[in-house]
Amino acid sequence: MSAPTTAPRRGARVTVAMMALVAATALAACGKADKPAGGGTAAGDDALIAAWRKAGLEVSALTAVDGKPYSAQACRGGTVSGVDIVLCRYDSGEDAHAAEELGLATLGAATGASLAHGARLLVVADRRKTDPSGRTIDAILTAFRS
Amino acid sequence: MSRPSPLLLVLSVVVAAGTAHADPKQHRYVGIHPVPRAEGGGMCHIQAPHVHVYAAVEGRVQFRDHDGWQHFVGDPVAYGWDGPKVAYYGHHPVPVDVVVGDDHPDVEYCYLDGPHYHAWAPPAGLQLELRGGAYWYVGEFPKAYVEARPVYDPIDVVYQPIRYERPVIEVSVAPPRWYGAVVVAPTVVVAPPVVVAPPVRPAPPGHVHGGVGVEVHVPLPSVRVEVAVPTVQIGIGGGVIIGGGRGHGRGRGHDKGKHKHGRGHR
Repeated sequence: MSAPTTAPRRGARVTVAMMALVAATALAACGKADKPAGGGTAAGDDALIAAWRKAGLEVSALTAVDGKPYSAQACRGGTVSGVDIVLCRYDSGEDAHAAEELGLATLGAATGASLAHGARLLVVADRRKTDPSGRTIDAILTAFRS
Repeated sequence: MSRPSPLLLVLSVVVAAGTAHADPKQHRYVGIHPVPRAEGGGMCHIQAPHVHVYAAVEGRVQFRDHDGWQHFVGDPVAYGWDGPKVAYYGHHPVPVDVVVGDDHPDVEYCYLDGPHYHAWAPPAGLQLELRGGAYWYVGEFPKAYVEARPVYDPIDVVYQPIRYERPVIEVSVAPPRWYGAVVVAPTVVVAPPVVVAPPVRPAPPGHVHGGVGVEVHVPLPSVRVEVAVPTVQIGIGGGVIIGGGRGHGRGRGHDKGKHKHGRGHR
């Protein structure tokens, strides 16, 4: 009696386990989508990108960049109206502030800034000298700090 | 002990030179500031802490250190600033922490004589009184102001050769508690540029004019500068009056009674 009933139960267990695995994977995937490399939530970055666009700035796609120079696990980089930006996330505001000097060290001869706000660090570099008056950089930083 | 090869030495020098070139000195700024002419001139609009690889314009008298960052305390309009501006008259405190928006209290002093602009409005409690469209400092100047004066007071020399429009201030409305130097500026008259259209030439008989030709003469604006030799008059209760004195041409200085200062000030 027990043998015939065991097989279906085992099958049910496998099915439940697989469903749980799928659910867990889906949840993890959702978590990753909401949590970009380096920690924090994507909502904050999306809000920042929206603020840049609202300020009339053109924002490129932000792609993953090496976070080691910024002592971050990972960062995202791109351009905002022709100015290079790198956006990193940290576990704490203290870590982000501590990384400001590291950000400045990456600028080389470019006009730029390395600014922490909350647990994020924004490094801006005008490497192509597209912003001689600094208006674009000011708009980028103003949106970031607000 | 083996000697390094000459080739290695040369390579080391080349690498060192390359490194030095790739890592120029960063100069730290906070707030707007003039850009050196060699870098394009005008004003840098970045308010937040930032870096350039060029030194400050007349940094010794026009900038103050704020936590290791240089803050411009001069008149931005003289360098082409077209943003918000607020008129001041004479020396006054500069609340650097308020201007740059951080939490490190830092009060410096502006030593610009006469009418001038800054890009910030004074916060409450700074004892700057608004009269005649400008802010006048009616508080006491502390020891720090007096001690730093020999260093920073020559800032006016920087602005002497710069032609720009200073605020027009009625000196007669100066607050009673204000004590400072009244500056009568030399008059600068700038005529607007004139565009002269060429007379229309009738085409010769039988001649068909196929193109459109426009000949526009844009002469350089004529600038009449009337420079007065400054004189200093010490008045009772009214502060020190630095006047235009005897003018060359029509720019005769006069500092009695009510007069407007600033427009076309050097």
